[in-house]
Amino acid sequence: MIKYFTDIWTSITTILGGMGITFIHLIRARQDNVTLQYPEERWPRPERNIGFDHDNYNVIRTRLHVDMDDCIGCLKCERACPVDCIKIVTEKAPERGSDIKEIKHVGVTTNGTRKAMVVTRFDIDMSECCYCNLCTYPCPEECIFMTGGPNSSRHPLDYEFSEPDRDNLIYKFAKSGTKEGLDKYIGEKSAES
Amino acid sequence: MTVDFLFDSLVSLFPSWENTDPFLVISMLIPLVATFGFITVYALVVIYAELKVSSFIQDKVGPMGQGVGLHAGKWGLLQPIADALKLLSKEDIIPSSANKLLFILAPFMIFVGAFISFIALPFNGSIIVSDLNIGIFYILGVGSLAVIALILAGWSSNNKWSLYGGMRSAAQIISYEIPAGLSLIVVIMLAGSLNMQEIIIYQQGGISNWIIFDNPFMPIAFVVYFISALAETNRTPFDLPESESELVAGFVTEYSGMRYAFFFLSEYANMFVVSVVAVTGFLGGWQSPFSGSLDSPLMGVFWMLSKTAFLIFIMIWIRWTVPRLRVDQLMHLCWKVFLPIGLFNIFAVAIWTVLFG
Amino acid sequence: MGIIRGEEMVLNIGPQHPATHGVLRLQVRTDGEIVSSITPYIGYLHRCFEKHCESVTYEQVIPFTDRCDYLASMTMNFGYVVAMEEMLEIKVNDRVQHIRVVMAELQRIASHLLGLGAFGLDIGAFTPFLHMLRDRERILDLFEMTCGARLLYNYMWIGGLSHDLPVGFVESTYKFLDYFEPKIDEFVNLLVHNKIFVERTADIGVMPQDVAISYGVTGPNLRASGLKWDLRRDDPYSIYNKFEFEVPVGEGGKGSVGDCWDRFYVRVLEMKESIKIVRQALASMPKDGDVHQSLPKKIKPPIGSIYKRTESPRGDLGYYIESDGSNIPYRLKMRSPAFTALSVIDEIAAGWLLSDVLAILGSLDIVLGEIDR
Repeated sequence: MIKYFTDIWTSITTILGGMGITFIHLIRARQDNVTLQYPEERWPRPERNIGFDHDNYNVIRTRLHVDMDDCIGCLKCERACPVDCIKIVTEKAPERGSDIKEIKHVGVTTNGTRKAMVVTRFDIDMSECCYCNLCTYPCPEECIFMTGGPNSSRHPLDYEFSEPDRDNLIYKFAKSGTKEGLDKYIGEKSAES
Repeated sequence: MTVDFLFDSLVSLFPSWENTDPFLVISMLIPLVATFGFITVYALVVIYAELKVSSFIQDKVGPMGQGVGLHAGKWGLLQPIADALKLLSKEDIIPSSANKLLFILAPFMIFVGAFISFIALPFNGSIIVSDLNIGIFYILGVGSLAVIALILAGWSSNNKWSLYGGMRSAAQIISYEIPAGLSLIVVIMLAGSLNMQEIIIYQQGGISNWIIFDNPFMPIAFVVYFISALAETNRTPFDLPESESELVAGFVTEYSGMRYAFFFLSEYANMFVVSVVAVTGFLGGWQSPFSGSLDSPLMGVFWMLSKTAFLIFIMIWIRWTVPRLRVDQLMHLCWKVFLPIGLFNIFAVAIWTVLFG
Repeated sequence: MGIIRGEEMVLNIGPQHPATHGVLRLQVRTDGEIVSSITPYIGYLHRCFEKHCESVTYEQVIPFTDRCDYLASMTMNFGYVVAMEEMLEIKVNDRVQHIRVVMAELQRIASHLLGLGAFGLDIGAFTPFLHMLRDRERILDLFEMTCGARLLYNYMWIGGLSHDLPVGFVESTYKFLDYFEPKIDEFVNLLVHNKIFVERTADIGVMPQDVAISYGVTGPNLRASGLKWDLRRDDPYSIYNKFEFEVPVGEGGKGSVGDCWDRFYVRVLEMKESIKIVRQALASMPKDGDVHQSLPKKIKPPIGSIYKRTESPRGDLGYYIESDGSNIPYRLKMRSPAFTALSVIDEIAAGWLLSDVLAILGSLDIVLGEIDR
């Protein structure tokens, strides 16, 4: 019998206690609010050097980007990718370290490496990418990175890259026609000599 | 009362008409249309309130229209209208294995059950569609119509979740009629009448004359009635028939579009009905809490609606605080807690009235 | 009182159901509201991870471990790298160890927050769920600040970490802990002691200790049954033996030992213990130390195998790795704690009402990604 009444009493007190907590949240709604009105307000994009003062580096993983002028075609990123979303095809350059103007091939990277390969295909399927960042570490020229990485000043941070067509998510970094241009260039070269 | 008033005024406006039957029909139709309009507008307001209160409790802001283009208006005020439009424009699906006739009938029946309760609700001394002399009894009676509709909805959907929902709600609503009725019997004992207006007039003369403060047992009766009313309207913590984490959506699992909207609308309409009954029975109806002041007919409507709104706010507040009961605990609460308390209350109030009344 | 028995009804809870925490199908036989037997059907989220790991190199396995238990990716990484480091006999420096412990314990809090919130949601309390998610978001912000990802981190590497802690991380973490501790009490007052919640969970789905042991249930579910078994204390890996913390066990606070309420409350207490560990680890963390210091040039473990278990938020997470001397694993097997937790459901939930079955399922805190892998 005593339990019957203590049960009723605890029910009333605990439920009223809970209602008190929710009421505090109700009247403090303005201060406690944690949401944003998405299309108008957005989470502040992380600052460029989000506290890594030793290294001007941003860890935010957004989407992959390749600076093709620096790519030497070493295929390390392709091998590092656990889901095989990077596809690279290279051709041997006719002359190591020389520019080929016809296909806008730059012979020497910003690090000073002379390229032996011409990258004719460099596709990244961002719909397959698992954002593990593993491809960016082995790159000897630091030319593949998540935008916001070491070269972030050149590329805006962007989370919103949805596409109406899935094919648009295949990023083709090597310019189209590179292969044909290279073949033509080599053909002309051999014709000259 | 309103019907008589309209009829009399129509007759006096057009004294040349011999046949007064059309007047009767018109004077009945006008309150019905007005009531329907009121329910719709009120439901939109309460849905908005529910969205906002729940959001504030959960540290969100709820619907907010901002910026350019198609959006939900300032502070999301148009959100319930957008919701209603969405429901209206949705595809109406009738499952192929459902019992078509009953499936279509159920949403109308549940709405009729909620709708016809409105004709006995007093908004002030004169605004009441029909001042029945058994008003409170009538409301309790037609409130049970919902049970049939819920069972129909649950059974005709031919879905196991719906069946569970229908069965649970039938057991729940029938059980909770009893403590609700017992609590109102106490009110009827004090007021000496089943008529809504007479119960309100009994509470004349300020806040101290309200039935809830009549004697020390009345607050208990009020709480019992209010919680039973929550159960009758299928609100959390008693939303077992449609508990979304157990029964998917209970008896409305297979309903979509406008048919679903009718279930939704009648839930909110029922909330209003039980709140008005609580206000009438315990909180002085349309009477001002301050004796002798602010009790013009217009203020009567204001007091009625604001007291009702307060009770509806408490319902929303409870909903977003507490978890849900289990089906056997629900029955336990009804038969082993509320029923004894309700019976005890009747005796206690009777003795109190004889001794001190 | 005679019991009227009718025909039993077979009911499929899931694969699309609000309370199955993923894509799980529970086939229950019900007699009215009473459930007589439960058969879980799994495999709807099977992504072939173990097989897939046999074709990628050892570093490339880490993103796959992330995706198994997607609510506790840090601890999944942690278990794998601890196993691999033992196999390769790599000693990592103290700073790395401390950072790993901080991350794993923050992840444990985040995982428990979601587990508790979802359990509350199963019972019908919506508000605590969103309060929990609100606080979890702050932990995810800390992770994002550290490694740039919010859910699937790939943060811990064999022999180190992908990034050092950013400047300001320690202060932000202290700030979060100061903010979070009162929130636990608020949560306890709002939900845990609520009479309706107690009625729904106390004495429901009691898992006796012997049943838990014979089914191989581990983690908070086992501790709720009264056994003080925590790998961080009993088989310390990394540097857990340096920290002072309690191992909370179920004491039957509202009902009997091993009921749903105990499983719930043990997790609440564990969050408090995790806060203690995070505070100690932050206080004793060495200021210098390169997180890439002991990264191996080439990962080619010697021929042989290893089984290493660690304490994930859901229990005993084991990695069995078999090496044939090449740079890809010959076989990789995960011992999933949620799988064993799910297997016990027929034993403890049969005979209860339909609502209780879902409460018991919620109290086991399963993650289907880890069960199916």
